[in-house]
Amino acid sequence: MVQSLIHLPDEILSSILCHSSPQSCSAIEQTHTRFRSVTNEPLLWRRYCLTHYKFWSDYHEIRWKSTCPVHSVDWKALFVSRDQVDHSVTRILDGILGSQTGRIEGFRSVVEFGYDAKDTLLRHASVSSGEDVLARRWACLHGFGIFCPQFVTSCADLVILSPREKALAIASWLEANGLTGIDPGREYHALDHNFLGMALQNSEHNSLPLVSAVIYCFVARGIGLNAQPCGFPFHVHVIVTPQPGWNMDGDPVGAEKQGEPLYVDPFRGARETLASALRSQLAFLGMSPLDQLTILGESSPSAVALRCGRNILNSIRLETQHPETPTTSVDVVSAKYAAIWSVMLLSDDSRPADLRHYLPRLMELFAADFPSDLFLVEKYIVPLFRGMYEHENILESLHVMRTVDEIPRQVRRRSGGNTNIRYAVGQVFCHRRYSYTAIITGWDSECGAGEQWMMRMGVDRLEAGRYQSFYHVLVEDRSVRYVAEENIEPILLKFSELPNSLTAIAGKYFKCWDEKNLMFVSNMRDEYPDD
Amino acid sequence: MSSITLTSSDGIEMSVDRTTAERSVLIKNMLDDLGDSGDAVPLPNVNEAVLKKVIEWCEHHKNDPPSASDDDDNRRKTTDIDEWDQKFMQVDQEMLFEIILAANYLDIKALLDVGCKTVANMIKGKSPEEIRKTFNIQNDFTPEEEDQIRRENEWAEDR
Repeated sequence: MVQSLIHLPDEILSSILCHSSPQSCSAIEQTHTRFRSVTNEPLLWRRYCLTHYKFWSDYHEIRWKSTCPVHSVDWKALFVSRDQVDHSVTRILDGILGSQTGRIEGFRSVVEFGYDAKDTLLRHASVSSGEDVLARRWACLHGFGIFCPQFVTSCADLVILSPREKALAIASWLEANGLTGIDPGREYHALDHNFLGMALQNSEHNSLPLVSAVIYCFVARGIGLNAQPCGFPFHVHVIVTPQPGWNMDGDPVGAEKQGEPLYVDPFRGARETLASALRSQLAFLGMSPLDQLTILGESSPSAVALRCGRNILNSIRLETQHPETPTTSVDVVSAKYAAIWSVMLLSDDSRPADLRHYLPRLMELFAADFPSDLFLVEKYIVPLFRGMYEHENILESLHVMRTVDEIPRQVRRRSGGNTNIRYAVGQVFCHRRYSYTAIITGWDSECGAGEQWMMRMGVDRLEAGRYQSFYHVLVEDRSVRYVAEENIEPILLKFSELPNSLTAIAGKYFKCWDEKNLMFVSNMRDEYPDD
Repeated sequence: MSSITLTSSDGIEMSVDRTTAERSVLIKNMLDDLGDSGDAVPLPNVNEAVLKKVIEWCEHHKNDPPSASDDDDNRRKTTDIDEWDQKFMQVDQEMLFEIILAANYLDIKALLDVGCKTVANMIKGKSPEEIRKTFNIQNDFTPEEEDQIRRENEWAEDR
């Protein structure tokens, strides 16, 4: 007769534990000696590890571990260490959201956890309610740049074909399934076409030659072909090399010899591109035979990534020139920032002119939108400029930013000289003259900008002049401006009626949306305690 | 619709619709072996009260599609239990454990799952002391053992 939990057989206890949380499992272990062995089963803890945590830093070698005999890995210890990382990350994130001071250091400590922090961040990013939902999502997605790539893995039955036939079969299979190339009528340079993740996830699967080539290589390698991107000017191709001693038709060519490679252009479909045609194009561009040889060889991953970064910058430049083109789902500012980073890191530092060209653009974006990356700039960008005159300047601006980040904000109360301030932090308004939509992020009781700025902006020509309240505001185009009170026309909209561009960035300063008063709830109470 | 006879451990015979009884893989296999002899199927591990409950469950679930996915992970991801099953499982603890054991013996995966989930939900969010109270478990650790095991499990406490 079964009277209690302790009389159930192990197999049933195991099944109950599978439905329980690791925390419950640990609680049960502490109730009675009966449960010691069943709550410490490595199989159970492996399940907890693999179902609770998707992303693991490389050093765990988790894929290798999960194929090992289950008893050879201390799965429980592994779970406990991940649980501790989870708690640390949550605590740091709460700190970042709780105060405007010392955020840079907080971001750095989270990033040091690497992929071990990703599950925790994704969980916080997917919160759908709570008093600081906007701020939490912003910090996770924007501050840590989370994205999820996905791969396709299916392919046709190709075992009996020769390497050449296989190579072309893949190209036609990808073409037939619409996985490569760009549909007619679409803007070739559209930003979306630069991203592998988007090409794979979107139903139309449009991609630039470079991305098409990468997709092709992935599938081709999956069936054992040696396929590499080839950085041909203007149009990336794929180079498929036969095994040593064989040619592409599957015939032996002699043990020491290397058969001729095959060039394919998956962007255009299942046709072989003749090496002679590629060579004559290069000759037309005036390249020496030696250069031709290098270009027609395989490109390194960093060369491909560098080229991808340049493509992205090019797409962004063209898109800003033609604002009428449909807007993309890609966050343009983040894309630009990431592309500049990769171009700077991957460019040969023997060409300082290139680095100099990108530095001001990087510093501008970094200071405006990604200040939490300070330690990354310090670690990777500063050394690139060693011995150049920019070196000191970068260090100086980093120093200033760090100091500002660590100084507690000056507290600004609505008493004394500040009782005349009409609007509160979090108020959404429309600019009376320029009619953009923006949110108030701070205020001064009178114009606090320098004399020169006031002259240039004609502040004294305003009706109430410089002695009226002025507001720091966050504009829908992400810019930050300084606006006189008389130009502020408060608007009362529902959250869903606000411009997307504005709600996407509001988390930088605000916790959430106040449905009742139709304004944002400030996350800057350390600076403006009364707002 | 054909019906068959089951005999409980305390010798009570019960007539059950065949499709209902075949929710149990054990019974289904026995019937396949016995053929259409019409003999009663003996179930020496299940008493009348428990067998009645199990049959009630099988009756309600006889038209369920064969478990949506045999993938363990999918099945175990959630501790949600549908409303009827929740009501069905509102029995005293002894009966609950008996049902689980019977489901295990009769090889009725879905019922075993519901039972284990019910117990998991009773444990959820409780401290060791609260679990002891709920299931009437006597603490058999020495003070030293208890201290050590508590330290080993400190990670799981609320922080």
